[in-house]
Amino acid sequence: MTLTTSRRSFIGSSGAFALSLKYGAVAADSHENAYRRWEDIMRNKWTWDRVVRGSRGLNCTGHCAFNIYVKNGIVWREEQQGEYGHQGEDTPDFGPRGCQKGLRQHKYMYGKQRVLYPMRRTGERGEGKWERISWDAALTEVADKFLDVAVEDGPEAITYAMGTAMILKRAAFAGLFRFANITGCTVPETFAGVGDLPVGANMTLGFPLPGDSMPAVFKSKTCLIWACNPAATRIPDAHFFWEARYNGTEVICISPDFNPTAVRSSKWVNPKPGSDAALALGMVHTIVAEDLIEWDYVREQTDMPFLVRTSDQKFLRESDLVEGGREDGFYFWDEAGDQLQAVPATGFSPFAPPDPNAEEKSLLLGALKPAVTGSWTVDTKDGPIEVTTVFEFVRREMENYTPEKVSAITGVSADVIRYVARKFATNGPGMIYAGYRANKWLHGDLVLRSWLLMSALTGNTGREGGGLQTTQLPRAEGIFSYVFAGLGPRLRIAAISLWDYAKNDGRGNNERIYGREFADHIDKHYEQAKQNGWVPDHAAKPWRMALMAGHNPASWRASGEAWRESALSQVEMMVTMTPDMSATALHSDMVLPVAHHYELQDITMEGRTPYLQVIDEAVPPLGESLPDWKIQRDLIKKISERAKARGITTISDNIFGQPMERDYANAYNDFTLNGKVSEPHQLVEWIISNQPGVPNISWDEFASIGILRVEDSDDVQFGKNSAFNYETLHSTRDKHPWKTLTGRQQFYIDQDTFLAEGEALPVHKEPLKNQGFDLRLTMGHARHGIHSWTRDDSLLLSLQRGEPDVYVNPDDAANRDVEDGDMIRVHNDFGDFVAMAHVSAGMQPKQMFMYHGWDPMMFRNKRNFSSVISTQGLLKPVQLVGDYGHLRHQTPDFVPNQTYHDCTVEFEKFAGDA
Amino acid sequence: MPAHQISMVIDLNKCIGCQACTAACKSLWTDEPGQEHMLWNNVETKPGPGYPRYWEDDGGGWNEDRTALKPGKLPEKEAHGEEIPLNFEDVYFKGEEQILKQEKPMGKGANWDEDTSSGDYPNNYHFYLPRLCNHCTKPACLEACPVRAIYKREQDGIVLVDADKCQGFRECNKACPYDKVYFNYTQGKSQKCIFCFPRLEEGVAPACARQCPGRLRFVGMLDDENGPIDKLVNQWKVALPLHPEYGTEANVFYVPPILPPKFDENGNFVDESDPRVPMEYLRSLFGPAVDQALITLHEEMERKQQGKESELMDLLIAREWKSLFNIPDVKIA
Repeated sequence: MTLTTSRRSFIGSSGAFALSLKYGAVAADSHENAYRRWEDIMRNKWTWDRVVRGSRGLNCTGHCAFNIYVKNGIVWREEQQGEYGHQGEDTPDFGPRGCQKGLRQHKYMYGKQRVLYPMRRTGERGEGKWERISWDAALTEVADKFLDVAVEDGPEAITYAMGTAMILKRAAFAGLFRFANITGCTVPETFAGVGDLPVGANMTLGFPLPGDSMPAVFKSKTCLIWACNPAATRIPDAHFFWEARYNGTEVICISPDFNPTAVRSSKWVNPKPGSDAALALGMVHTIVAEDLIEWDYVREQTDMPFLVRTSDQKFLRESDLVEGGREDGFYFWDEAGDQLQAVPATGFSPFAPPDPNAEEKSLLLGALKPAVTGSWTVDTKDGPIEVTTVFEFVRREMENYTPEKVSAITGVSADVIRYVARKFATNGPGMIYAGYRANKWLHGDLVLRSWLLMSALTGNTGREGGGLQTTQLPRAEGIFSYVFAGLGPRLRIAAISLWDYAKNDGRGNNERIYGREFADHIDKHYEQAKQNGWVPDHAAKPWRMALMAGHNPASWRASGEAWRESALSQVEMMVTMTPDMSATALHSDMVLPVAHHYELQDITMEGRTPYLQVIDEAVPPLGESLPDWKIQRDLIKKISERAKARGITTISDNIFGQPMERDYANAYNDFTLNGKVSEPHQLVEWIISNQPGVPNISWDEFASIGILRVEDSDDVQFGKNSAFNYETLHSTRDKHPWKTLTGRQQFYIDQDTFLAEGEALPVHKEPLKNQGFDLRLTMGHARHGIHSWTRDDSLLLSLQRGEPDVYVNPDDAANRDVEDGDMIRVHNDFGDFVAMAHVSAGMQPKQMFMYHGWDPMMFRNKRNFSSVISTQGLLKPVQLVGDYGHLRHQTPDFVPNQTYHDCTVEFEKFAGDA
Repeated sequence: MPAHQISMVIDLNKCIGCQACTAACKSLWTDEPGQEHMLWNNVETKPGPGYPRYWEDDGGGWNEDRTALKPGKLPEKEAHGEEIPLNFEDVYFKGEEQILKQEKPMGKGANWDEDTSSGDYPNNYHFYLPRLCNHCTKPACLEACPVRAIYKREQDGIVLVDADKCQGFRECNKACPYDKVYFNYTQGKSQKCIFCFPRLEEGVAPACARQCPGRLRFVGMLDDENGPIDKLVNQWKVALPLHPEYGTEANVFYVPPILPPKFDENGNFVDESDPRVPMEYLRSLFGPAVDQALITLHEEMERKQQGKESELMDLLIAREWKSLFNIPDVKIA
């Protein structure tokens, strides 16, 4: 929808008013103010024909509100709408948001990297030779292949993956999932696939993504920005950190390198890469040793008082005391009654219908006073045994993490560890602003569990301005009311870590790099998990066809070139639907053009702000490109037509262990809800009307205002009736049990694998190394790109080095005769790549740093950093478990993370191509 | 002297070097042939050679008693870097080249030294410095122009090059000690920041300020005693001109940066008397007044840490985005 305001009429009506208001009467005869034709030429440049509200539907949680200015039929430029309000009392408002990448969209959409027509490969894969074909020819070919594979091997053998150019457009996202729900094709899950899933948060809280809106930062008094670089990666909202600093908040950046966030912080703490869990546990030691604990909170909200048998370190359960007793009934010692007491409100039931007794299940303790310290002898059905509390285990474990011991591990001084711990515990709300980065370590779950322990002991989880901040997701009802409508859930989703392990020889990879013993250990747990039915076996079916929606896995998939070769050797047809070319598109058999972000209708909804954002069609799609959702619609229509023409009506499938038929002949009618949803804006209206916490509004009205405030969002923590999740306050404020086995924030996990791995409690484990390679290559989201988008923008490249660069420490460079600007070969026993050395004293010795998103196409031999990321086969045994309360394979909450950081490298001056 | 002087205060404690200002300015004003090397607004890492490279070594400005211009060097085109297209078609659609790259090497560009830190880890230091034309009270460019093409507007003190009069002598490029006048090699004329006067005349802040997601640029009349500029520059004296010794009386002011503390030999924090950015370096940028400005900032930050009120901190926090712009606000859609 176009707003009617035109700049040309605007000047006529209000320009003169604004002038006189500010500038007053200027002497008309002043020589200095003689009429200057040149000034009018400049004034005429700042004119436009119309304005449309919009944003970009990339995988960017910014989702900033923009005005799109159209002049002479093309997008001339964009500027932040800026008209946001406040969230929370006494906080700064949100405006204007936006960043340099958003301000390049008007150029990027007309860039020469764009795909304008359906193209079919004529040369070898990756050769860049194409023929233009019609949409009808393209869709017919894809639909026929889809049907061939579905009939021969089942739809499981077809993947339909979504990537960063698509994923946050809510209608497009919903369309992909409905397409998969109808057809049964496999959706590779990319959140854990890129290593972002906070598995450790799920282990502790029963859900993976705790977090509040961005102004919560302003409410903190001690804000630890940890393993996260918001000055580069949260540009629209980073101001809240520095405004908080001016407001008296101690903003402490914890990062090995002096990153852009450290530049702006009150304090900088610089641990060695991969030592974060140890650092956090050193702080826990201080909190425990100096009794900086919020005892009432700990008794009510955590498993610290729960009793554990000292003999086998298992929880004391009702089944220990009573024949046929519950496995999810636990005990604490009640100091008020000086007796053993069954813990109220425990147990986890993920799929059960709403519990009629739900209101009675409460964390409130009433007259009970659980002992947190002590040990007792209790009578069980097998005789008396000794028990003690989880907290006692914590206290004992923390003796391994005195600040002095931790200093030796992390390189951070013991006094600094104590200083940060005291500030965090005593200065008012303490926050750990973390994002996702820590999860990309193999033992990232332990980092998350350690952070949450710090946060829980000090009563910060659930506190306004406190707690661990990852992100905040919208409630699922809006989208899934469409995905499942009339069909119910019958989606097939695959964790990428498991998929790659099965399809790309994860075991062999591990043996080659990390040694046979280590490889066998992982493989034993993987096989056991498969046998127990805890994880699916993706080796059971071939991988024959891949549909990539705005997806560029050839850029980021661990093991880079090796993944590309392995994937392409299996997949008979790879189809990439994308607005822009990439390494993945180049290697595809067919490329289908997607409309750019100012050429389609959709919405975004991200919990950084309390606003929904409209994406509107400012100009028609360029070339023959189409909005994502329309491509899905047209493809499924073609599948229905071809199925009917070929006499295929239904496809036999088996989902969740149940045989079923998928009605391909009727797939198109299912997709459009029998015609109710046949255009993207109709789907947007459907989603909005089904999304709790969002005012009902027509597409036209929403498009005219651009942003829409969600309900119950006055505070920096979203309320129960907002559009976003409410999981933390559900327990800390409303006292409902946490969604864990113990019903508490669970720091002690007595599952056998956890015990055997020494991870029943949060501990520190050293990151893995490649033997003989000493340098850590750390990485992070780019300042100048959103994933691979705008990494190849000519202006932004000119504001970097014009090509990929990697930051190195001056001494490390000098020791290798490398100077700033030299090309270097970064290598290990897995692979190598070449990039420019960017020598900076901000790098820790033996650390290298590279920003994400550089496409392999920008590197020699099309090898980017992923060529040295040898971690593809790494699975963590404790992430493969099941049948333990909340710990069961479930996308997207609990699946093994793909990991990216547990490898080491060397570098040398690049000698030139051999 | 103009009736009023438009001015900007840039808070360096909020700048994250994102280049949104640069991108905003670029697409609005310098997107035409001949302007590829031109960034009327840029952000550079300091210490560092900046943009154009080593501009601080190019001379220009006024002599010590402000009676004559000092000689200045013409900045070379190569010192600016430039925006260069990539070979997308050859790689993606014709299969003629293997690797994406710029069609020709760009040289060392405008932000080549992004995050290149000075000193020694872990006591290294750097910060981001946004720069635009200072719209000086004593503009060296205006003084140097042999054809009087440069003028300072009566109503707001904006310094402009009249494109109709400019004959491309490039004396202004040499005279400006900030190297903030550029030469358009296609048009044969000098061009520079216009402080977005077409926007300003409509009550809309300049693009670099209104589009700054960091909320770090205050805009208003320097002589407006009710505005934030007067408070920061004249009352609190925490906003200082860059290189005051150049003698042009710049009207863009900077709140100097306070970086996190250094570490002593035991890895513990050093107090503010020995800041991470050496005082000597800060004095070389902002003159001797920077000492007192930092003391004031530290004192007021400490008040807030103790839970006390601080007018200065509230001013810098700017809870209302639009309070940064002490000009009438007009919606532009």
